[in-house]
Amino acid sequence: MIFPYRFRAALLLTFVALQLGCGDKSTPSTASTTPATATTGGKKKIAFITNGVDPFWNTAVAGVRAAEKEFDIECSVLMPPKGLIDQKRMLESLLARGIDGIAISPVDAKNQVALIDEAAGRCPVITHDSDAPLSKRLCFVGMENYKAGRAAGLLVKEAIPNGGKVMLFVGRLEQLNSQQRRQGVIDELLDRPQQTSDKINFDVAGKVLSGTKYTILDTRTDNFDYARAKANAQDAMASHADLACMVGLFAYNAPHCLEAAKEAGRLGKIKIVSFDEAAPVLQGIIDGHVHGTISQQPYLYGYHSVRLLKSLVNGDKSVLPPNGFLEVPIVEVRQKNAQAFWADLKKMQEIGK
Amino acid sequence: MVATTHMAEELLDVRSVSKRFPGVLALNGVSLTLSQGEVLAVIGENGAGKSTLMKILAGVETPDQGEIRIDGQSVKIESTGKAQKLGIALIHQELNLADNLDIASNIFLGREPQRFGFVDRPRLYADAQIYMTDVGLTCKSTTLVSDLSQGCRQLVEIARALSTQARILIMDEPTSSLSQGETEQLYKVVNQLRQRGVAIVYISHRLPEVQRLADRVAVLRDGSNAGFLTKGQITVDAMVSLMVGRTLGRHVRTSYSHGEPLLELRHLRTPSFPKHEVSIHLCKGEIVGIAGLVGAGRTELLQVLFGITPALGGEVRLAGEALHLSSPRDAIKAGLALVPEDRKLQGVILEMSVGHNATLASLQRNSVGGFLNAEREKKQAETITQQIRVKTPNLDQWVQFLSGGNQQKVVLSKWLSLKPRILLLDEPTRGIDVGAKQEVYTLMEEIASQGIGILFVSSEMEEVLRMSDRTVVMHQGRIAGELTRDQLSEEAVMHLATGAGDSPPISVLQE
Amino acid sequence: MKKTLGIFGLFLAVFISTALINPRFVSVYNLENLIRWISLFGIISIGVSFVIITGGIDLSIGSLIGMTGSLTAWLLTQRGWSVSTTLLTVLAVSLFVGMAHGLLITKLRLQPFVVTLCGLLLYRGIARYITDDQSQGFGNTQENLRLLAIGKVAIGSKFSIPIPFFILMGIAMVASLILNRTIWGRYLFALGRNETAAHYSGINTDVMKIAAYMTCSLLAGIGGILFSLDLNSIQPSGLGEFYELYAIAAAVLGGCSLRGGEGTVLGVIIGTAVMRVLYNAINILSIPTHLEFAIIGAVILAGVVTDELAKRYATNRRAIREQLGDNPLNKSQ
Repeated sequence: MIFPYRFRAALLLTFVALQLGCGDKSTPSTASTTPATATTGGKKKIAFITNGVDPFWNTAVAGVRAAEKEFDIECSVLMPPKGLIDQKRMLESLLARGIDGIAISPVDAKNQVALIDEAAGRCPVITHDSDAPLSKRLCFVGMENYKAGRAAGLLVKEAIPNGGKVMLFVGRLEQLNSQQRRQGVIDELLDRPQQTSDKINFDVAGKVLSGTKYTILDTRTDNFDYARAKANAQDAMASHADLACMVGLFAYNAPHCLEAAKEAGRLGKIKIVSFDEAAPVLQGIIDGHVHGTISQQPYLYGYHSVRLLKSLVNGDKSVLPPNGFLEVPIVEVRQKNAQAFWADLKKMQEIGK
Repeated sequence: MVATTHMAEELLDVRSVSKRFPGVLALNGVSLTLSQGEVLAVIGENGAGKSTLMKILAGVETPDQGEIRIDGQSVKIESTGKAQKLGIALIHQELNLADNLDIASNIFLGREPQRFGFVDRPRLYADAQIYMTDVGLTCKSTTLVSDLSQGCRQLVEIARALSTQARILIMDEPTSSLSQGETEQLYKVVNQLRQRGVAIVYISHRLPEVQRLADRVAVLRDGSNAGFLTKGQITVDAMVSLMVGRTLGRHVRTSYSHGEPLLELRHLRTPSFPKHEVSIHLCKGEIVGIAGLVGAGRTELLQVLFGITPALGGEVRLAGEALHLSSPRDAIKAGLALVPEDRKLQGVILEMSVGHNATLASLQRNSVGGFLNAEREKKQAETITQQIRVKTPNLDQWVQFLSGGNQQKVVLSKWLSLKPRILLLDEPTRGIDVGAKQEVYTLMEEIASQGIGILFVSSEMEEVLRMSDRTVVMHQGRIAGELTRDQLSEEAVMHLATGAGDSPPISVLQE
Repeated sequence: MKKTLGIFGLFLAVFISTALINPRFVSVYNLENLIRWISLFGIISIGVSFVIITGGIDLSIGSLIGMTGSLTAWLLTQRGWSVSTTLLTVLAVSLFVGMAHGLLITKLRLQPFVVTLCGLLLYRGIARYITDDQSQGFGNTQENLRLLAIGKVAIGSKFSIPIPFFILMGIAMVASLILNRTIWGRYLFALGRNETAAHYSGINTDVMKIAAYMTCSLLAGIGGILFSLDLNSIQPSGLGEFYELYAIAAAVLGGCSLRGGEGTVLGVIIGTAVMRVLYNAINILSIPTHLEFAIIGAVILAGVVTDELAKRYATNRRAIREQLGDNPLNKSQ
């Protein structure tokens, strides 16, 4: 999952805060003296923290709710609307109030290590969706973005078996998950050997990469500006008449490729491959305008997070997977399974709301 | 009278200095001398070269030709730092003080006494107190500058100059924003400094002030020396004739006739003096001057009349009809017009053409359904600016590029095309040349002769004496008295303005 | 006028050099896209130029676009409102927002920066609250209404002009008439240069300023509707983010002075065009996207610096001319 982390908005807010001379004064970890246990009336309390607000997370919450019932535990869900700052604030107030276990999707894995470690000192902490491998989290529930990228590459190969020019679209390339997805797609299309997720060699952006059949023209970023995302797709079609396939690495990219192709009258002629499960993409798959998408089953992120935490808060560490990585398999959605997949998804999102 | 003998003991000796700016010769062989303990007034019309000369002395500009000697030594003042080293300090017209700092910090700004790299605060405040005593500042050196009056700030500037061990003080229009009392205090300080041997170059437009203070006067005209006057020769007439190159005939308004009463202010109370009621009347074609000291509530009165600030009580009647004045629009609709005190801020729009300025208040009549009739507007602008004799190459010229006198005429044009019934003028000739003043006076007479009533506020005694058919003198928000043409004299005005005639008030107009 | 010519020169320079490097830049498809984006951003830039001319600023445009855009999609698809009621409601909301800004700024004397900054936060929050922070879209519905944004009118056999362009032209014409041919335009420029003098000349400066903020918000609202129709998929937390800065940059590039009292509609449109052409050129020329902010920032800065230098040169020339004696006014009278 690519979080809609409003990086620029945060920047503006910081700027404004400085201007007004009242920087963010959210108290840094005042919880040191507060006991961390929150056991009230016997029932343990845990928390599921996302990295933003998105329909994606509603699906995950459906998994949380299902597991709550199954394992009889209370789990509060926290969605920080403005990324890093909000997440920090939410986590700190949780620690201050007291909590028995935390599952978090860190916004900035590198710079949140201290914060996660502080939490890990008081209760079991696991990460989901996005990992913080350097922290003291007990395990990570998620998928391998590199693998997902290779799977998307396979979808491209299916869509244009005779080869052709491919353009990639993404919100930001600064994030590890987008880099890994991109590299997965590239390696698959250029028939390179499988790399291991912990040390991947990345191709420099902005260079045309050509294999025997497939040419990856470029990776265009839009900084989460939807109009820009659409313009990027339009411009790709304008500058490359023979563009064969567009790959959207973030959930919202493919819908805008779809809009652009539709307006240019090239629906179906230009193949589109997507990540995640935005409604226009699923509709597009059903209509035959999008070849397929890679879904990462957020439902299971929620479900497994709660399941693991339930055991962990009771001191049972046997549930921990080896290497601290619980891999949630991806699902490939094509025209044949799209209807059923979408029906399930709608149900889960309804529960998650 | 140009001094030709330069003696060695002169403190400052400026020898035929010239300065050319692109296309204009700002100074053309100007010479002057200054000795210890002397107050030399430098006067001249706007653009005569005074400020260029001062900038050269303060190291802001460097001369193209000529020589400057200090203590007989030829010097080059290539920077302000050098000027300071030579003992020259310039006290700006716009004060350069940091409002948010205290007096001591301002006096030693950038030259703070230090101790181990830190500001030596005890010494800072103690030293400051010494210089403050020198200039007669009685408050504490820890007082914030923002809490000081305009006059005290001036004194802080002088103290700062003294703290740099200045021997030559250049004061540029020091009293322009001071009250009467503050002005007196400044005179005292100037006299003390003179006795201590500090030489002072005193630039002023206020000729009576110059007459009182100066030991010698240097007059500049068009960038050249127009002449010098020594102590006995310094009279207002002599100075004016050197400045303008001719002797001005004293213009005194001679023919005036009172029409029927037009404007009546009844028990009007203004927000600045809520306790005092003001009652004045003005007749058709009459010119009434409002005299008084700065801060007597005169500008505030005009602002209430023009709907800028609301009246607290009382009423204003125009031709017997009570007016509701809650905005300048109301006032304009009723037939009032105001030529405000601060021309550049309130009167004209500098970055707009002469034509557009002249029609700004009367656009509505040159439009149909909001759309402008450009032709009619242009014609109106042409007619009125010709009538008011605005000197501009064309109507598209930005007002910014006009002289002060012409800018003031643009303001008059704006109002006269509306054919107002009452014209209010606040300091109508502030900051404009002697020649242009004359033109404004003539225009005022012409306007009055058309039956428009004129109420003007002026701090210049000359102006009040010349122009008023009747003079109302204000003191601390009240009408201190009213003087008819026969009763009018400088002494009478000052008597009332300073509050000397507080009880009983002389012929106050009461209903 | 000279300023507009200068920015037009910049536009031509970017346009021609891009076309020379990659001829596909001037392909029909690309030009149509370009015109559509220029039109959408041009509308909001014209809006903000009204406020800038009064010497104010509006930072809430982007959030207002987010709110009106989300609201349009939400009312039509989630609430099932009719097209006309939806559009009228959204435009009324925009006008109300502008009036609120104007009243706070004129009657309470709050600073425009502060008022519209709070608006920036407020409208974004409202947009997200109303829509429950869910992405909004029209799906395959509202095809006819969406033509307002994505439709085009064929001119000859090959070229078509996107409909937003006609909307922009209509708005530009009205705006230009108001600014240049009516007393209100004159009042706006006058108060932008010197509010006190304008007030002292009997102009109801408060009403004029309120009208300027209402114009700005109305055009942002129209922009919001068009953006939502164009994009089809709208994220309430993201739509329009930073657009106020694009609009302000385009207005400044097009000759508006943030000190107020200056600006032309044509200049603002060309300013917008420069920005959009730059974005487009960066993609067409395959310049890495992470360089785009740097490139656009540099070009705007270069434009503004050139303009300032040209102005100084002209002022110097004028001073020399006048002081040489062409103009008798500069001598004392």
